Amino acid sequence: MSGAEVSIRVNGSPVPLETVPDDERLLDTLRWRLGLTGTKEGCRTGDCGACTVLVDGRSVLACLTLAHEVAGSEVRTIESAGPDPEVDRVRHAFESAGALQCGYCTPGFVLALAGLLKERGPGATADELLEGLQGNLCRCTGYASIVRAVGLIAGAPP
Amino acid sequence: MAAFELVAPRSVDEAVAALRGGPRTEIGVLAGGTDLLLDLDEGRAEPTRVLSLRRLPWRTLDWAAGSLTIGSTLPLRALEDDPDVRQRLPGLWQAVRAVGSVALRHRATLGGNLGRAAPASDLIPVLLTLDAEVELVGPDGARRMLVDRFVRASRRTELGPHELIRSVRIPEPRRSAYLWQRVRPANDISQLAVAVARAGDESWRVAVGGIPPRATLLPDVAEELGRADPDDRRVARAADRAQRDVAIVADRRASEEYRRRLVGTMLRRAVRAVGQEVRA
Repeated sequence: MSGAEVSIRVNGSPVPLETVPDDERLLDTLRWRLGLTGTKEGCRTGDCGACTVLVDGRSVLACLTLAHEVAGSEVRTIESAGPDPEVDRVRHAFESAGALQCGYCTPGFVLALAGLLKERGPGATADELLEGLQGNLCRCTGYASIVRAVGLIAGAPP
Repeated sequence: MAAFELVAPRSVDEAVAALRGGPRTEIGVLAGGTDLLLDLDEGRAEPTRVLSLRRLPWRTLDWAAGSLTIGSTLPLRALEDDPDVRQRLPGLWQAVRAVGSVALRHRATLGGNLGRAAPASDLIPVLLTLDAEVELVGPDGARRMLVDRFVRASRRTELGPHELIRSVRIPEPRRSAYLWQRVRPANDISQLAVAVARAGDESWRVAVGGIPPRATLLPDVAEELGRADPDDRRVARAADRAQRDVAIVADRRASEEYRRRLVGTMLRRAVRAVGQEVRA
């Protein structure tokens, strides 16, 4: 792969793409190259949302994205250390509501919700947020507590 | 070693030249990638080169004198977020929101959906009812054609081996609606879908999707609806006609009988949805 955009930033740090194969998925770059295993592989077919990360603040499925396709972008995963008001807000709501069982889907849910808050602003309604979570599956079926967490984040409860 | 080489040209000429660099079966075209990467995983496509369109200046949305031109690589989420799309082309807005999840729509594109021409495409039925035109670019310049002509059959289009989809043009705002039926909303595809729209001259367009081999316009059903606001009797006649006329097949997602019942019900609901929007 040639071109001027030779790196991505992951949680604030530059990651050069020169040694990343052209066919590598962002999911594999994060998990196997960078050791950021907080981003989960669920279905690898774009159905479950477990691999959701933020690319320039927008939720994206890392399993269906080539690393080179997001060259020049800022990627944020659940390991992101820096303060991020939306991610922090969602994390606290998940903690307060106990919104996890096995935890495998949790990073995807947290980043999908944080992305929705970034897009829609702090006034996003519970209905908007829940609709935006349709692509995130919890195989424990622990949705009730996730809905409660959404209620804590939203302007009005669902 | 990578399974393919990724090329991302900065100009249309370079992109077209890249397509001419080898047999079409060995080159994959990548817009959002949400379908192509699945094909690669499942061995349905085995390109040695993948042409990425990400650097082409096609992520555009232009309203001009009532018509809308959508660049082929604009993420679907941007269409959904445009307040004019929602207000002036409600059927298109509803159909875009029926595609996958938010995270998928941040990458999936209209050009990809159209080029892919899946039988269950949510966007093709609506584009048919809007008399949308697709613009193709290739070595001999650009050409345009109606989406109805562009889509030939399941996964078959008029796209030449060295052509790319540049944009889709919708000639006018239309009162419209799109309804779908599927088992789960975000991670499933439609068993049946009905799109309806009302042209500037008050005539209707009706299209059915979700049934292989491709979405189809139903001009005789549209004719039944007439040009005045249709009363219940006319809507019922149109629904009966749709149930009789549509070529319905069974596949693993729905039986023929189920789909035939749905066509009538969903057509009635779609027409009423347009009526309500008029009153609102």
